[in-house]
Amino acid sequence: MIAPPGQGLALARGDVPAAAARTRIAVQGLAKRFNASGREFVAVDDVSFEVKQGEFVALLGPSGCGKSTILNMVAGLLPRSGGRILIDEDTVETGKVNPRVGYVFQRDTLFPWRTVEQNIGYGLEIAGLPKTERAGRVASAVEKAGLSGFAQSFPRMLSGGMRQRVALMRTLILEPEILLMDEPFGALDTHTKLEMHKTLLEIWERERQTVLFVTHDLGEALTLASRIILLSARPGRLKEDFDVAIPRPRDPVAVRETAEFGRLYSHIWHSLGEEFRRTRAD
Amino acid sequence: MSNSRTVILLWQLAILAAILVIWQWGFEWSRALLPKAYVPKILDPYFVARPSLIWQSFLRLGCFSDAAGFSACITGSDNNLWLATLVTLKNTWWGFLFGWASGIAAGLVLGRSDFLARVFGPYIVALNSIPRIALVPLVILIFGLGDLSKIATAWLVVFFVVFFNTFEGTRAVDRDQIAAARLLGASEFTVLRTVVIPSALAWVFASLLPAVSFALIGVIVGEFIGAERGLGKLIIEAEARANASEMMVAIFVMMFVGILLAIAVRSLQSYLLRWQPQFEPSA
Ligand SMILES: Nc1ncnc2c1ncn2[C@@H]1O[C@H](COP(=O)(O)OP(=O)(O)OP(=O)(O)O)[C@@H](O)[C@H]1O
Ligand SMILES: [Mg+2]
Repeated sequence: MIAPPGQGLALARGDVPAAAARTRIAVQGLAKRFNASGREFVAVDDVSFEVKQGEFVALLGPSGCGKSTILNMVAGLLPRSGGRILIDEDTVETGKVNPRVGYVFQRDTLFPWRTVEQNIGYGLEIAGLPKTERAGRVASAVEKAGLSGFAQSFPRMLSGGMRQRVALMRTLILEPEILLMDEPFGALDTHTKLEMHKTLLEIWERERQTVLFVTHDLGEALTLASRIILLSARPGRLKEDFDVAIPRPRDPVAVRETAEFGRLYSHIWHSLGEEFRRTRAD
Repeated sequence: MSNSRTVILLWQLAILAAILVIWQWGFEWSRALLPKAYVPKILDPYFVARPSLIWQSFLRLGCFSDAAGFSACITGSDNNLWLATLVTLKNTWWGFLFGWASGIAAGLVLGRSDFLARVFGPYIVALNSIPRIALVPLVILIFGLGDLSKIATAWLVVFFVVFFNTFEGTRAVDRDQIAAARLLGASEFTVLRTVVIPSALAWVFASLLPAVSFALIGVIVGEFIGAERGLGKLIIEAEARANASEMMVAIFVMMFVGILLAIAVRSLQSYLLRWQPQFEPSA
């Protein structure tokens, strides 16, 4: 794939759409406190950021800094202790699912008793779409995930990478406009991870969903995201915000040779290093 | 591969032959060869009969050697081997079915409701601590000597096994799978139908084999304690007449029934649970 002329330049500014793009996710003064064995414990403290239409934002921070907690509150899976979260100007209510939002988990959450096809078609099935209408969409999703020939397999027969592709497709088939991803490739080996990056980049560069992607892997964040939000060690606070001006389409291997990748990598690495040291000092 | 399989089969046949030979003639031989104090009592045909006698008893009880002919014998006597087997199997089936269905229902309800689980928890633990067999005389007093008391006994034994399995299974449902389903648009009821039940079913199906064999045990014990017909009754009658070979016939029939049920249940299980790693079809 070659970027159409003109677009490459625009994308060099981190492919963030113009300021006119509307805000899809707004997090304002977000806080989360847990009650750990009687003691109150601050996991997330006063975090504010925005994600605009069509942005791919990586939420980067050391392990345990509250990334999953923030994402779960954005998804409405977890009640918040303070602050506000707006999705398309509507306040997120805990326990209420927004059909425009898709979520991919850190852990494998495929339904092991369903075949690949039945897993991918789950959302359409429970929405009551008739079987005949489902079949075509499911088949093309299976194809897109590169799993033709495995449609009738159960998840236990698949490798970790294949399972995560099924999980991705199970979410994407519902065509969510906003995608929340919690270290979806965290459990994969380096090679499989790169392949997944390739798949995700292809999909995103074509469909341009609004993505909030949680990770503690700096290379992954730089490969995928148009913007990186860096969190401090526990309690999670906003530390820095970077645009990633690597042109698209990106190749997960080739991006690593760009000057921008190297520059941002060493800059964020130092910033992140301080946080890792703080985590250990605790 | 096939070589070692043949070797194993040969060994198995050799052991079977050895058992039969020792059983048939071991007592005489040891009496002829050993001092009286060393003759193993377990070989005494008075207690364990011998294969040839068991075979004759089998032909007689099974209506194969009756002068009146097979069909006349079957319809004539009301506790021949086949009728007894049929009655025992029928009661096992109903006891299993009721025990299984009620165990699943109770397990699902209590597993899904923290409130009910807390209220009934101590009662279930208390009831479960009673050895079920101790209740059999009571069951027979209430339901009489007929088939109903056997079904009730089997139900009693099966219910708790299935209940605990279903309860645990319902509790063990992966929370993230539930969250995933909800995020994909599932309502509370859809989550129950498409996530909680299928995932608990793994545990329920795992209880299938113990449930079937417990049902069989329940029925036989019920027949021991008070019955009009059935394999257990056959054993008790043979015991009263000190007829070891008839007792052995009933025991062997139970063994075959047990084996056949286990094979049937296993193949059903491996079909229903084919998505589970431990049910990988073995090479
Ligand atoms: N339910 C809970 N009760 C108490 N403490 C919790 C709970 N959930 C998370 N925490 C704590 O909050 C902190 C943030 O957890 P979180 O899972 O958000 O981290 P994370 O940044 O996603 O880490 P990782 O990269 O390892 O996934 C951790 O210290 C964790 O122990
Ligand atoms: Mg996490």
